[in-house]
Amino acid sequence: MDKGSLESGLTWEVRANSRQYHNHKQKKSVLCFHWGRYADNVIRSNKYSPLTFLPLTLFEQFQRVANLYFLLMMVLQCVPAISAIPWYITIIPLLIVLSVRGAKDLANDMARRRSDAEINSRPCDVLISKSFSKGQWRDVRVGDVLRIHKDQIIPADLLILCSSEPHSLCYVETADIDGETNLKFRQALGATHNELTSHPSEEMLAAFDGVALCEEPNNRLYTFRGQLHWRGECFLLENEHILLRGTVLRNTEFAYGLAIYTGADTKIMRNCGKLRVKRTQMERVFNRVVMGIVLSVLLTALLLAIGAGVFSSWVMSHTGPLSPLVVNGNPVYTGFLIFWSYIILLSPAMPIALYISFEVIHTVHSLFIGWDREMYWQPADRPAQARNTSLNEELGQVGYLLSDKTGTLTQNRLLFRQCCIAGEIYGDATVQAEDIEPMDLSWNPFSCGGLFMSAPDLLEKLRGQQCPLSRQFFKALSLCHTVMAEWKEEAPVYQAASPDEEALVGAARELGWVFLSRTRDFIDVSELGVPRQYQLLALVDFTSKRRRMSVLVREPEGGLKLYCKGADIVILERLHKDCPYQERMERALELFAQACLRTLCVAVRSVPEALWEQWSKTLAQSAAMATAERDALLEKLYDQMEMELQLIGVTAIEDRLQEGVPETIALLQQAGLKVWVLTGDKKETAVNIGYSCKLLDPETRLLEWQELRQILQSPDPGVSFFKARQMELWAVDKQPAGAKTAVVLTGPELAEFDQRPEWGATFMSLAEQCQSVLCCRVTPGQKADIVTLVRKHTRSVTMSIGDGANDVNMIKTAHVGVGLAGVEGGQAVQNADYALSQFRFLQRLLLVHGHWSYRRISFFLLYFLFKTCGFALVHIWFGFFNGYSGQSLYEPWFIALYTVFYTAFPIMCVAFFEQDVNADSSLKWPELYKSGQRQELSSPLMLSLSLLYAIYTSLVLFFIPLGVFYDTAYDQQVMAVTVALAATLTATIEIVLMTRYWTKFNLAAVCVSVVLFFICSKITNSTILFQKSPIDYYFIGASDKAFIDPLIWLTALLTTWMAVLPSVTALALNVILTMHDKHKVHSVSRQPVELRSKFTRGASHRRSSYALSQGSGPGRLITSASRIPSTVPTVDEKVTEEGEHSVTGGVYISPIGDIRSHG
Amino acid sequence: MVKQELANRPDNTAFTQQRLPAWQPMLSAGIIIPGFVLIGLAFIGIGVALFVTSRSIQVLEIDYTGVETSHPCFTCSDPDVKKCVCQLDFTIDSLFKGPVFFYYGLNNYFQNYRKYGASKDDDQLSGDLSNFKSPSDTCSPYEYDSNNNDKPIAPCGSIANSMFNDTFKLYQKVNGSKKLVPFDGKGIAWWTDYNVKYRNPDVSPLKNAFNGTVKPLFWPKPAYELDPSDPANNGFINQDFLVWMRRAALPDFRKLYRRITEGDYRLGLPAGDYNLEIAYNYPVLSFDGRKKVVFSNVSWMGGKNEFLGIAYLVIGSMCVFMSLVMLIVYAKFKFPEED
Repeated sequence: MDKGSLESGLTWEVRANSRQYHNHKQKKSVLCFHWGRYADNVIRSNKYSPLTFLPLTLFEQFQRVANLYFLLMMVLQCVPAISAIPWYITIIPLLIVLSVRGAKDLANDMARRRSDAEINSRPCDVLISKSFSKGQWRDVRVGDVLRIHKDQIIPADLLILCSSEPHSLCYVETADIDGETNLKFRQALGATHNELTSHPSEEMLAAFDGVALCEEPNNRLYTFRGQLHWRGECFLLENEHILLRGTVLRNTEFAYGLAIYTGADTKIMRNCGKLRVKRTQMERVFNRVVMGIVLSVLLTALLLAIGAGVFSSWVMSHTGPLSPLVVNGNPVYTGFLIFWSYIILLSPAMPIALYISFEVIHTVHSLFIGWDREMYWQPADRPAQARNTSLNEELGQVGYLLSDKTGTLTQNRLLFRQCCIAGEIYGDATVQAEDIEPMDLSWNPFSCGGLFMSAPDLLEKLRGQQCPLSRQFFKALSLCHTVMAEWKEEAPVYQAASPDEEALVGAARELGWVFLSRTRDFIDVSELGVPRQYQLLALVDFTSKRRRMSVLVREPEGGLKLYCKGADIVILERLHKDCPYQERMERALELFAQACLRTLCVAVRSVPEALWEQWSKTLAQSAAMATAERDALLEKLYDQMEMELQLIGVTAIEDRLQEGVPETIALLQQAGLKVWVLTGDKKETAVNIGYSCKLLDPETRLLEWQELRQILQSPDPGVSFFKARQMELWAVDKQPAGAKTAVVLTGPELAEFDQRPEWGATFMSLAEQCQSVLCCRVTPGQKADIVTLVRKHTRSVTMSIGDGANDVNMIKTAHVGVGLAGVEGGQAVQNADYALSQFRFLQRLLLVHGHWSYRRISFFLLYFLFKTCGFALVHIWFGFFNGYSGQSLYEPWFIALYTVFYTAFPIMCVAFFEQDVNADSSLKWPELYKSGQRQELSSPLMLSLSLLYAIYTSLVLFFIPLGVFYDTAYDQQVMAVTVALAATLTATIEIVLMTRYWTKFNLAAVCVSVVLFFICSKITNSTILFQKSPIDYYFIGASDKAFIDPLIWLTALLTTWMAVLPSVTALALNVILTMHDKHKVHSVSRQPVELRSKFTRGASHRRSSYALSQGSGPGRLITSASRIPSTVPTVDEKVTEEGEHSVTGGVYISPIGDIRSHG
Repeated sequence: MVKQELANRPDNTAFTQQRLPAWQPMLSAGIIIPGFVLIGLAFIGIGVALFVTSRSIQVLEIDYTGVETSHPCFTCSDPDVKKCVCQLDFTIDSLFKGPVFFYYGLNNYFQNYRKYGASKDDDQLSGDLSNFKSPSDTCSPYEYDSNNNDKPIAPCGSIANSMFNDTFKLYQKVNGSKKLVPFDGKGIAWWTDYNVKYRNPDVSPLKNAFNGTVKPLFWPKPAYELDPSDPANNGFINQDFLVWMRRAALPDFRKLYRRITEGDYRLGLPAGDYNLEIAYNYPVLSFDGRKKVVFSNVSWMGGKNEFLGIAYLVIGSMCVFMSLVMLIVYAKFKFPEED
């Protein structure tokens, strides 16, 4: 048997109730050594342990070139022979940088530990020595038998042994795993069910000694293979026997399960991806620049060292070893020492303070995000939160937004908003659901709110017994469904496979037709307080091919009625020939579709007793037939049953989008972002949400897998794609080809990309021209794969947004991950870089905070490079005039204070407060955001320009004073003060030119910096300090002497003006040349306002609603209403295709239908 | 109660909401082009002032290295000749307005060489007697005299060792006789150097402080005998020593030697023939150096400096020129149809 299982790949052996066996093989690890097989059920997302923190954090930090470089500098400066400047000039900033960063990492890690501990200590019941005892998740081991209560989260992947429900069914909610909100059922094996439920279960369970053989842990959520060997028999295990960690047990009193995979081995954890340290693109570019600077410094130092060697050999040959210049030893050795001296001397060109400033700026930007009242969600008292404080500038560069659907775009709330009964429309969808005046339903003891429709006239008709059709309509709603009622505190609570049904049954309840309970054969309903029992003769369930469902009931009075509800095109073609009100109903359908409501038609048919007898015979007949044959027969029978219907009404349900979703998406699209939807949900739902949130236009052509595949396989995908689009244009519209195509993919189709890695690039190049891409039925792992695909094939910044555990992986994988703090567990937020409460806050996060952050940080970077290089490179030019001796042109204190005191504050103020336009304008002109996507301010070109400018500045800073001081009696210290003055003034003027938003802080910072320069020069050149330490403060009196000399001031003035002249000129030309562009921007940017007003106008094209859980009219402009006939057929085609697909997917298995087939 | 519920609500301040009142300068061509013109004109103005001032300064520069054989100092330029004196004759055509500053200048002399500059003992120079006995090793190789029982050198180090030791006497030839022009050597060093940075030890007489030390190798006489005429002007606070110890910025430099402010020459050097007597001691030819003397008077901007004036003129005109270019560009962009 074992051999067989090895061959089939079932190598994961789990023995029930034998901890001893599994403990033995427990997974353990010390440092980097791991052994054992079975992981424990403890989540560890922390990076450090007390022992590894220091080495790990140092290791991480010294991976940064600059930190390592500065460590080296410090060591070098301790060698007197080469120490051009004292060592303490370097160590202080380095220590600060290291400790601040380390403290931040530690704090983050502690937060992760805390949240892990919270999860690991959740309670659960574990069977230990014949009785269940309260335990924690961390105690669960492979092979343990667990008892899960209703509404508990399942702690590990379990094999169901039995449950409290008939046939050991369990209902689970998988929203946290795949985003679907309908209940799924799972079932125990018949064998375990029969054996384990017949006796007091605890004893039986304790004695259970089955051995499960299954696959090694993997990340495939929808498949499971295994065998259970018990009592000499072998049972096959499948996905339906497994409860996954992270799902929630619903509707089931309790279930018993055997832990198969625990902790890191569970399917959801395997889907979670690795914790990775995110670094921004700009930081990466910047690291490259730093590398470049290091290399150039090394090269320059080498050249200068060669110069030094030549010079010293020249001095040696002319004056001998005892020259005044003290050149001792051989020239090569001198050159060697000078090399290191120059590396030290040029090291200020390496902007080490930049890293610490970076941290500070990022932190402040993150605080601003948290402080923003516009992103504060009052109902939950939750402000936005930047959990990762080092990604802010990426927010201004996002090119791809990959969004989850359920809970992110939609609220996951379905509201019964309108209905049309007998041609009469009730309710008003133009009023916001929250603003509707609730009707007085106090007469109804079962009413518990949740109806967002105001129709007093309908109520009057219903209660006044005037309108039989409307009564029948609600009777139909209360009978024709697969909802189950559960009694809680004297009121029924409905559990539905689809939220739409729940909304419909709930609406019927509010209006007096209360579905009370169901048994196999009867449905109990209270009609306006009168209890009635209907006998359920047949229930023909929904499939996505049929797109309708029916019930055949015997009324208490004796008549037979068939109630049917379904998609309009399905129902309309099955109507009785001369159905009254049909025209008015169809108009109602159009109206509802305009308002983006999901519609369903409700119809009825009176069935004569004789006909039913005939049908029931056929049904009995079919029970004995083979499956395929039976299915064909039943299909035909159902077709006959659902004929000659009489249309009684249309329902309209609103799938509530999160507030402001369509506006946000439109705004983001204008800002040049590509918005993709990745969802675990069904394709139909995803497409409909795509329409209702304006991600897709009604005229958008959907490109599906078959077609896409052909395009990808064709030799020239670009051309084929263009053709495919052209055809569409020919048929429908003359609009520019632009972004009117969208790709719809499903998970299994995406899996093909694994085999064809070459498709990735092609696909991305196509997708770039598409309006959007929708990926449905994708696993969390696939979501992450899509993010990876985008990251790999474009240079854009990706952002993922989601709210559930199934989004964690993609949130971690994207450059920036945003978690919505929604109803579902905080998993997404825990792992996200930014936590928001509402999808619409994204526009502010990106367009305002992101845009500002990007500009601020770009300016900061450019300026920092300029100011450090500009002042440090002077030493190269000075080298030519001092025999390449490594002499510093500046006072060492100036070098230390320049970066910290004289130039840091103004640029920090710019990095904190700079705004090119204010928040409102940023939102008004989303086009401004594109500069970040194009990296206009942070491109390598800009960085190189900044460096070139720095080189120019250093030349000016040295050569103009050189010209003035050449062959004069001015000494070196006065020249040092002059150059320092000019350098400080240049840096200051440069920042003054850069600042566009002068707050009082900016002004103060600029003034303080300049004043500090004079004060600090005065202090370090003072007599008192000199007397304390003559070696450190040997510039005594230099600045006093220099500042009273008009020539020094004139020199500094000339040097400064010359140094800033290029940027002043550039600024001036920019102002002169862009005057007209600005006008253009302003006139163009009125567009978005108009666009937004279009939303309120709504759409007028009626679109077939999908049955049951789907169905929504896409938006369409009033003008295109005339095109109904031309597009309906194509819709039809599409729907059929989708239907086929869904059938194979096997999503719509109604629990009740299943029970019936069992019984 | 409501307040408690909204504990996390961010403060509504201008700072947290990033609505700080701010001035956003709106630049336009109307500001920028006149601005450029104004700055350009200002620079031209300064340039003219500097240029004119610089022109008015009289400078007389005489190279006395003695490279050419015909030069009176040629014989002295041989390093083997000791105690050589050479005479230089020159004529001043018109009155050289006073006060006249008398400089010596050196070319191709790297006083800014790092190791040369570091080679001194600041503690010793500020009068610390313990550093007379054991100078700091920064002075190496001029720390101890190996030819003299390894006695410590005071003042130690390269800079002190290489002190310029040519001396000058200026005579005016009046009716065939030579009239000594009096030099004023007081206060030619920085105040801080003289009063703070350099100190003689508190030992009297000064000579005793230097017991057990030797003079720098290149020096003809010890530090306490630098100025025999003025006992106060000796040791580490000798003016010439202080001037030399203040390192030049660039390889071509001048250092102030004396001022001519006294007696008949208070108003300057009258026209006439002069004779400069040079005690030629300092060797520069070995490193291709040059020595010169410079007579110059000064203005508010110090000595003659044509570079600065010209640079101001050039940059000022550049600004004006650029403003013209901008004006043309602006006109082209503003009225594109008319072109």
